[in-house]
Amino acid sequence: MDKQKILIVDDSEMNRALLIDILEDQYDVVEADNGVDAIALLSKHREEFSLLLLDIMMPEMDGFEVLAHINKYHWNYTLAVIMISADDSPKNIKRAYDMGAFDYISRPFDSTIVHRRISNTMFLYARQRHLEKIIVKQFYEQEKNNKLMIAILSHLVEFRNGESRLHVLHVNTITELLLKNLTQRTDRYSLSKSDIDLISTASSLHDIGKISISDDILNKPGRLTAEEFEVMKGHSAIGAQILSGLPLDQQESPLVKVASEICRWHHERYDGNGYPDGLKGEEIPISAQVVALADVYDALTSDRCYKKAYSHTEALKMILEGQCGAFNPVLLQCLQEIAGTLERELTEASGEKTVSIQDMRNKIDYDRLFSYEKYSSVSRKQQHLQLLYIDSLTGVYNRRYYDEHFRRAEDTEAIAVMDVDDFKKINVHYGRDAGDIVLQRVVQAVLSCVQETDSVIRYGGDEFVIIFYSIPADTYEERLENIKDCISRIVIEEYPDMQVSASIGGAYGTAKTKKLFKIADGMMYEAKLTKNQVLIRFLDRETDNMKGGR
Amino acid sequence: MDLRECYVSFGGDYDEVLGRLQREQTVRKFVVKFLDDKSFRMLEESIGNEDYDEALRAVHTLKGICQNLSFVRLYESSSLMTKAFKEGEHKNAVAMMPQLSDIYHQMIHTIQEYIQSEEK
Repeated sequence: MDKQKILIVDDSEMNRALLIDILEDQYDVVEADNGVDAIALLSKHREEFSLLLLDIMMPEMDGFEVLAHINKYHWNYTLAVIMISADDSPKNIKRAYDMGAFDYISRPFDSTIVHRRISNTMFLYARQRHLEKIIVKQFYEQEKNNKLMIAILSHLVEFRNGESRLHVLHVNTITELLLKNLTQRTDRYSLSKSDIDLISTASSLHDIGKISISDDILNKPGRLTAEEFEVMKGHSAIGAQILSGLPLDQQESPLVKVASEICRWHHERYDGNGYPDGLKGEEIPISAQVVALADVYDALTSDRCYKKAYSHTEALKMILEGQCGAFNPVLLQCLQEIAGTLERELTEASGEKTVSIQDMRNKIDYDRLFSYEKYSSVSRKQQHLQLLYIDSLTGVYNRRYYDEHFRRAEDTEAIAVMDVDDFKKINVHYGRDAGDIVLQRVVQAVLSCVQETDSVIRYGGDEFVIIFYSIPADTYEERLENIKDCISRIVIEEYPDMQVSASIGGAYGTAKTKKLFKIADGMMYEAKLTKNQVLIRFLDRETDNMKGGR
Repeated sequence: MDLRECYVSFGGDYDEVLGRLQREQTVRKFVVKFLDDKSFRMLEESIGNEDYDEALRAVHTLKGICQNLSFVRLYESSSLMTKAFKEGEHKNAVAMMPQLSDIYHQMIHTIQEYIQSEEK
């Protein structure tokens, strides 16, 4: 096994040397002679270190300041800090403990005692980490099994149902995409990541009530009679009833609660014309509203015993026209926005016969934004195009795509050129890996602010071009400000003190891309003078053509 | 002169330091290394510049080293000066400098003699 790593922070070379002499046989020892260097080292390589020996009185940044920083970012969860100051006044020792130090070794150093103190501390921390790992592993195992059980259960319903065996999977995917889009749009429903996960999982159970509907009705080709339809409609209430028969403590679990809502109300409509209860508007829980829409969308785009599949465009049109009943207008906006992604996701999923819910879920990584899926789930046919035109680091279009598709276009309306501020400094100060992360995060921020129809291009290095499709002037202006703000809010966990911002130049008005690019590029360089700002030139407002950001 | 005699001569506690650091070699290594330590020079300079924050840090460091190497006489002297600086009694602290300086230079002289005697 590799030796465990210890960082000694002390401004006296003699003291560091003495500790190294005591420790070097057993540990890998690294030194820093002031607090600033120590923080810089830890922000890059924190996970390599098991223990920090910290002096208090130091130039630049003293031990207490280092402790405060460590505490603020919770580094001491995995890194034990032992104070080694020559100042052993009770006041200072107490203060160090209060600020999160694990222990205090007073001088003079006794090699045996130093050894024991350090190895005991390390042992405790190692044991705690080991236990944490076990718990995390068990948690995921449990999660996996839960989802598997639900998949089997819902598959049973489908199996009997004869409807597309992918229906549950599709509803699951659509629900999740809708919810994620919804949270980006409004915080009215206060949905956390785990709420989204819970609702998507529970969506698999929306049709369990169908288990009690007879085969003749369930699988009847052609239209149901009014009487038969009434029986069929019973499945939503029956589904909820089945769940209400569970033991009380199970009914209390969030999954069962959400599943009951979904079962009972996934045929309600926003205008009150649904069943079984005729709930209206926000009386219908958001979980059921979303699953209702997902259910309809997938039913339209799949073959059923009573109908052929409609195309995605047709289905979208039918829903928007209200042919399938009324839905929450915000959800309809979400549906429109994810339409492109949906078509790709769902076609892809049907094409691969071995796809399982688990695979599908694994594909969706909560920590990446929406846009990641957009580019990660293109079909195989497009893969070679992807290699050709997609920037491998950030997943957006590359310079080649711009040159071949946009540069010579004549009717571009709105363009923006964006440059990350002080990117060179970031690379020099935090390293190239940090620079890469910054670019990825900047792209995520941009993508979260633009529409699917807009194109984001990494033009080179830290320079990006955004081409907007059919956008009103005020929205355009708002969107660029938005992008700038999103970028300035980026916090990178590994480099908490890093400031990220970008300067954006815009050109608005129909013209050749080349011309707009040139103008936007010029505006960007002007914006660079103060950084973190947006400057736009509107070609049709020649008299008053400067609109500055902050 | 051996290391123990050297310690006795400059007012240190050889048994104590050996008990803690365990090997004579280690003690010797750091006694020799002490000749190159900069904290005393830093102390002299910062007192000269009337930079008392810097002076406190320097004498505090010196105190820590003395403590670790059981340089008892110099430890006592640097300890007193550290206390005075901490309490903001700069004049008193500065007044202790000639005495501390004497002890320090005597020590350096003794250590040099010890090294020479070893080389012979």
